[in-house]
Amino acid sequence: MHLHLLWPAGLPGGRRWATGRGIRPARPTRRLAGRAFAPHFFWLTGLLVALAASQLPGTARAQAAPAGGAGSTSGAAGTANAACTLALAGRISDHETRDLLPGATARLLETGEVSPADALGNYHFHVCPGVYRLEISFVSYRTETVEVRVSSSTVRNFQLHPDAVALGGAVVRAARMAAPTTLATNTLNGAALQATRGQALGEALLKVSGVTAIQTGPSVFKPMIHGLHSNRVTLLNNGVRQEGQQWGQDHGPELDPFVASNLSVVKGAAAVRYGADAIGGVILAEPAALPDTAGLSGEAHLVGMSNSRLGAASGTVQGGSRRLPGLAVRAVGTVRRAGLAAAPGYRIANSGLAEYNYAATLGYQRDRWGAEVFFSQYNAQIGLYPLPENARAAQTDVPRVAQDFTYVLSRGYQDLQHSLLKISGFYRLGGGYGRLALTLARQWDYRGEYDKFRPRNANIAAKNLPELDYRNLTTTAELRWELPIRRTPAGELGGELGLSGTYQNNTYRPGSRYFMPFYTGQALGAYGIGRWRPRAAWLLEAGLRLDRRHLNTRRPTLPGGVFTVVEDDFAFFTPAASLGTVLEAGPHLSLRADASVLRRAPAPNERASQGVHGGIYEEGYDITRPPGTAPLAPETAQGLSLTATLHDNPRFNGEITLYQTQFEGYIYQTPVPEVLTIRGLFPSFRYQQTDARFRGLDVLATARLLPGLVLGLKAATVVERDLSRDDYLILAPADRAEAWLRYELPLRPATATAGTPTPGPARFSGFYAQAGPQAVARQTRIPRPENGQDYQAPPPGYVLLNAEAGAVFGAATRYPLRIGLSATNLLDVAYRDYLNRYRYYLDELGRNLTLRLMLRF
Amino acid sequence: MKRNPIAPKYLALLLLAAPLAFSACKKDKEEPKPADDNELITTVVYTLEAPAGSTAPAVSITWEDRDGDGGAAPVVTGGTAGRLTLQRNTLYTGSILLLDRTKTPADTISNEVADEADQHLFVYQTTPAGLLNIVRTDRDTNRLEVGLETTATAPAAGTGSLKITLRHQPPMANGTRIKDGTFGPGDTDVAADFPVTVQ
Repeated sequence: MHLHLLWPAGLPGGRRWATGRGIRPARPTRRLAGRAFAPHFFWLTGLLVALAASQLPGTARAQAAPAGGAGSTSGAAGTANAACTLALAGRISDHETRDLLPGATARLLETGEVSPADALGNYHFHVCPGVYRLEISFVSYRTETVEVRVSSSTVRNFQLHPDAVALGGAVVRAARMAAPTTLATNTLNGAALQATRGQALGEALLKVSGVTAIQTGPSVFKPMIHGLHSNRVTLLNNGVRQEGQQWGQDHGPELDPFVASNLSVVKGAAAVRYGADAIGGVILAEPAALPDTAGLSGEAHLVGMSNSRLGAASGTVQGGSRRLPGLAVRAVGTVRRAGLAAAPGYRIANSGLAEYNYAATLGYQRDRWGAEVFFSQYNAQIGLYPLPENARAAQTDVPRVAQDFTYVLSRGYQDLQHSLLKISGFYRLGGGYGRLALTLARQWDYRGEYDKFRPRNANIAAKNLPELDYRNLTTTAELRWELPIRRTPAGELGGELGLSGTYQNNTYRPGSRYFMPFYTGQALGAYGIGRWRPRAAWLLEAGLRLDRRHLNTRRPTLPGGVFTVVEDDFAFFTPAASLGTVLEAGPHLSLRADASVLRRAPAPNERASQGVHGGIYEEGYDITRPPGTAPLAPETAQGLSLTATLHDNPRFNGEITLYQTQFEGYIYQTPVPEVLTIRGLFPSFRYQQTDARFRGLDVLATARLLPGLVLGLKAATVVERDLSRDDYLILAPADRAEAWLRYELPLRPATATAGTPTPGPARFSGFYAQAGPQAVARQTRIPRPENGQDYQAPPPGYVLLNAEAGAVFGAATRYPLRIGLSATNLLDVAYRDYLNRYRYYLDELGRNLTLRLMLRF
Repeated sequence: MKRNPIAPKYLALLLLAAPLAFSACKKDKEEPKPADDNELITTVVYTLEAPAGSTAPAVSITWEDRDGDGGAAPVVTGGTAGRLTLQRNTLYTGSILLLDRTKTPADTISNEVADEADQHLFVYQTTPAGLLNIVRTDRDTNRLEVGLETTATAPAAGTGSLKITLRHQPPMANGTRIKDGTFGPGDTDVAADFPVTVQ
């Protein structure tokens, strides 16, 4: 059974310590291995999934089992010399039924290496000669540990016994929102995620090849996938589409990365599943599943950064109820505070931030149904560099006031609050009818933006209210019906159907300034995805979606100084269709292809935003469109992406993604001559529409040079063409590449002569260190002056040196402590980045050292 | 594990009840209101009176942006065809008027500036430098210049431009005064450019 098609996110499970290798290409099941940083927690969670599943008729067990080559990541301890490439492999099956057990976990206790069983129940390792203890575990089965002497390639099969005892505490876990498998999907979790703790979400995601970010100063990062951003990247916060962050490029995602245990990036148009906005891709921030066992557990994080003297602390406490099995709670709290960041040579004025976030989850699960209530709130004050008043003069000669370090935020800052209430539930229909899942959510988004200047009127100034003061209220509902897998002579068939609705209302405080209009948006959508697996190693997926979007905007104007409200109504059907395939061309090679076509209705900011905001003037297309021309029309995108992934090889692994997205009516911001206001000239941008084509390439490759020593390479390029003008588009990410050498302390197996290997709890394990350069070229593909002259030529390319090291102390104890130290821009190079909106004025950050501590309990 | 036959019903109830929690959507359509009064200065008028007995006429020039940021570009009117045209070697007496002409009648913002003179400074800069010599003649309660009232002379014939900047220099939150008679502290509330001809 390969019901994992419906459940690609599948079973959490690998008990893999200290083998995080940075970013790995995540195949659907690869996410499994990555969760390994939380061994007990996830393992137990996984146990519950399968336990629960195993009691369901028919399909259940397979649902819990992610198959299809759940790969270990070729193991930290793998060695490259000939003697250490002996295969230790075998097949894991059920002792009673002889069913294969894809997703079962094989673990070498001596090295900590993990190999989840693939679709055919196979595990395999590459090891040195020696004696190993091999532990085979799978949810709802009794764990077996055997000693294996390896002197040549060895095959060892296992038949696991169902564990009657374990069935006692069965709880069904809600399925995670699954990433589409036919697109390249990269996941940050475990050690790789840990190495980003303390950073903003958009900054953390920069680790994924093909992902960049539009920056506004040092603390605001808006993720960009394959050159697409803002309204074309959907962010799912715990399964709910994050709303309110689409107003501007200076809006970072309003969520706390500490709440997530997985950050996944789906690269490419995933609009059928996630809605028409997901042209560029999808970012999924997913918390871990709730604990299933009684008793408290959790983790505590401490992060300190040298550059901005940032301090972050985050704690998670969770527990299951002893008296009411299936009831579990979790609470997460985070505080983050930073002072002025430093570019080489000077402090960046007003670049501090203060943030506190919290989240709580209450869940109750039975075998056929479950329900969960989740609430989270993000609160942040983010300082904005005071842009000089005369934009043009300032670009040539920046009048920079000397700044002493301070944590104090002065005017010119964003004051944000985002709250999410989510109620979700699922119900297994039984009788082979699949599963229903319902998610209801409401989001409150408050965005106050304080201008640098204070109101002239002292009474108003005394109130200290933000000049832009927006409220966005969004209610969403989604119903999904996950169809059961049907086995037919032609292969397995499955799929899902969904309905979704959104109601959104956006206003601003009376008396505050107009930048975005008042608007009301409604969207109703239906989609269906069909999956066909003609062979075990081959999956075909087709999807269709249709949305109806209605938008009503009310915006003030002052024609000749007279206050007038202009109301507009827009309604569009936005269809989307996709066709994709995954072929496991061999045990180490996956091929993916995906084609899609979709439409996206223009967002309110693209139509009707207007004003100066953070020292930059922006204007929607409809505001000053030439008389007689039509308002902004939906854009149509045709996407094509091809991905090849080499995985689980002892020496060489990698992923390459080639893509093209072609737009009719691509909506983008372009510089216009500086708008003159009563306060002077401001850099000014206007939305407009053109036909465009994006073509690009992402590469990730790792090669094991010596035992424990890996050379990695990551590179991305994207070419953005304006087809109507036969020119390039502005603000395309420059070509970039990163190389690193990573050393992981090899965990030596017990010697063959020892007879009784005694691995014991290592006090110090999982050590790794890596260093390498990161190079970004000067962007030379820019529009000709007549097609949108930027205020300055793109900044020169740059090379930075980064390094990172980490280890776990007391990995086998009750309180493992993970310590990480990382350094960025080690040589303190002064540079500017083309994707920073303040590139006209400011250098990027200088050297930054970060210390991260994480204690699990 | 024993299945609980009641549980699904509870779940169904919960799921049905959940939308109620979300049904309190406001349906009435709210509309934007004008921004707070202080938000707009639409009009800057600089008036120069020649001394009694002089043959030079009084000059008044206006910089105006009535529809706020963006939209129609600001316009300069008055003077001689939109140029501030002055006679050389004449001691003019200047005064500034700031208006919010989105209100009816127009709101005189310069009165507000006068009331809070200790937080404001007008700065007069010409290109080329020395085209006009403008001296602030009024002072605030701290004996610092304000610049609502000025004198202006032009030493020689020429053309160029005059930038009038209003610096808003309110005390810091802790009460510390920041106005020190220089351009530096605070922010710009007005930055208006006028073309100038000296005959």
